Amino acid sequence: MTELERALVRLGGDLVFPETPDVFTAVRGRLEQAPARRRTPSRRALVVAFVALAVAVGAAMAVPAARTAILELFGLRGATVTRVETLPRVETRPEAPAPTVAELELGSPVPVVDGLVRVNWPHLLVPETLGPPDAAYYSSVLRDGKVSLVYEPDAGVPRSRFTGVGILITEFRGDVEPAYLDKLADAGTAIQRLRIGRDPAIWLEGGPHYVAFRTPDGGFAEDVARLAGDTLLVQRGRLLVRIEGELERDRAVEIARSLRRP
Amino acid sequence: MEDRPLAEDDLVAQAKLGDSRAYGTLIQEHQTIAFRTAYLITASAADAEDAVQEAAVKAYRALGRFRSGKPFRPWFLSIVANEARNRRRSAGRRERLALRAAEDPLSGGAVPSPEAAILEAEQRAELLAAVDDLREEDRLAIACRYFLGLSEEETAAALDWRHGTVKSRTSRALDRLRARMEGGA
Repeated sequence: MTELERALVRLGGDLVFPETPDVFTAVRGRLEQAPARRRTPSRRALVVAFVALAVAVGAAMAVPAARTAILELFGLRGATVTRVETLPRVETRPEAPAPTVAELELGSPVPVVDGLVRVNWPHLLVPETLGPPDAAYYSSVLRDGKVSLVYEPDAGVPRSRFTGVGILITEFRGDVEPAYLDKLADAGTAIQRLRIGRDPAIWLEGGPHYVAFRTPDGGFAEDVARLAGDTLLVQRGRLLVRIEGELERDRAVEIARSLRRP
Repeated sequence: MEDRPLAEDDLVAQAKLGDSRAYGTLIQEHQTIAFRTAYLITASAADAEDAVQEAAVKAYRALGRFRSGKPFRPWFLSIVANEARNRRRSAGRRERLALRAAEDPLSGGAVPSPEAAILEAEQRAELLAAVDDLREEDRLAIACRYFLGLSEEETAAALDWRHGTVKSRTSRALDRLRARMEGGA
C-alpha cells in the first residue's frame, strides 16, 4: 500500500457518516408478511397453480428476452431447470379445482396387482417407503417410455393443488438427449442442488414453477406444460426420477433414497 | 444445546428455511457497511435508509437464489447498491461525497502537538476535497475501496462493474489524486 492509500484509509476512518438505522426492526413486519420463499409459500401463490393447458412453452419462450432473462441454469441428465427473471404468463384460474389425472397426460393405465406394477419396462423403480402406488401409467411419448406412479393423498400427504393427487412420481430415461424435462423458475422458487447418496438431485421449493416436457424431436409437448409445486429431481444412473407433491424436502429425499427395483 | 453464535453459513441456511430471526442477525451484521455504501451512492441518509430497507426485503425473498457457502456480504451489497442507484437516478447526480472528516479524530494513539494536529487536519481536508473533485466513478472507486474498506469483489458488486474495471478505475483514480495533491490543488 502506498502512502497515499494509507492516507485515504486513515481519512476513511475519520469520516462522519450518518448514524446507521436499525434496518431489521424496520422491515421485520414486511418480512413476516412477505410470502416466504420456502417454508410458507403464500396460499395465493399456490392457488394460482392450475394452468389452462392452452399456453405453450414455445409461446413462453417468445416472451421478450428482458423479461425472461436467464439467471441460472441447473442441469441433470434428462432435465434442466432454468432460473428466469419472469415466468411465462400462464392462464390461471385461481379458484380452479386441481386437475384430474386424465389432464396430467400420464399415458395409459398400467395394472397394479398384488403390490406390483405390471409394466414391461426394465428401468422401473418403486420407493420402498411408499410401497406400491395406487395407480400407475405408461406413456410412449418418449422413445424409451415414461412411467408415472400415483399415490393418493393420505394423512401425511395432502392433495396437491398442482397434480390433484398426493404424490406423483415420474420416471424416464434421462440419457436420451435432448433433456426431456424443462423447468422454468423465478426468484420465488428456491432451487437447491443436492446429492442423495451418489445421485445428483435438484430440489425446487416455494412458489409454483413452470414445467414442460420435450418430445423426442426436441420440440415441446405443449399440452403438458403446467405449473408445478415442490419437486425433487433425482438422477439415478440413466434414470431421471421426478417426485412432486406437497412434501417437506427431507421427506422427498427419503422417498428418493428408498427407490428400488421391484 | 451449546449456545454459541451461528456461523454465517448456518444463518443463511436457517434464513432460507424461513427463519426471519436468523435473517435479522445476518442483516444486523452487515447493515452498517450496507447503509454506508448506499449513502456513498445516494448522498442522502433518507434515500440510503430506504434503499437498505428495500434491499433487505428483496434479498430475503431472493435467498433461494443465493448460493450456499458463498459470502453473504457481496451479494447483499450488490442488491443494496442497486436499490441505491435507482434512488440516485431519480434524484439526479451528486457532485460531492456529502462526507466530512471528524473534527477531533480518534485515529492516532499518540497525542500530536497542536501544530501537528492543525497540519494533519488541513491535510485531511485537502485530501477529502481532492477526492470530491474527482469524477464520479473515480470518487466512488476510492470511497468504496479505502473509505469503506470493501474488497475489489465487493466494490465490483456494489458498483456493478467488472472486477478488472474496479482495478483499472481505482488505479486511475489514485494517479489523478496523486497528481492533484502534488499539484497543490
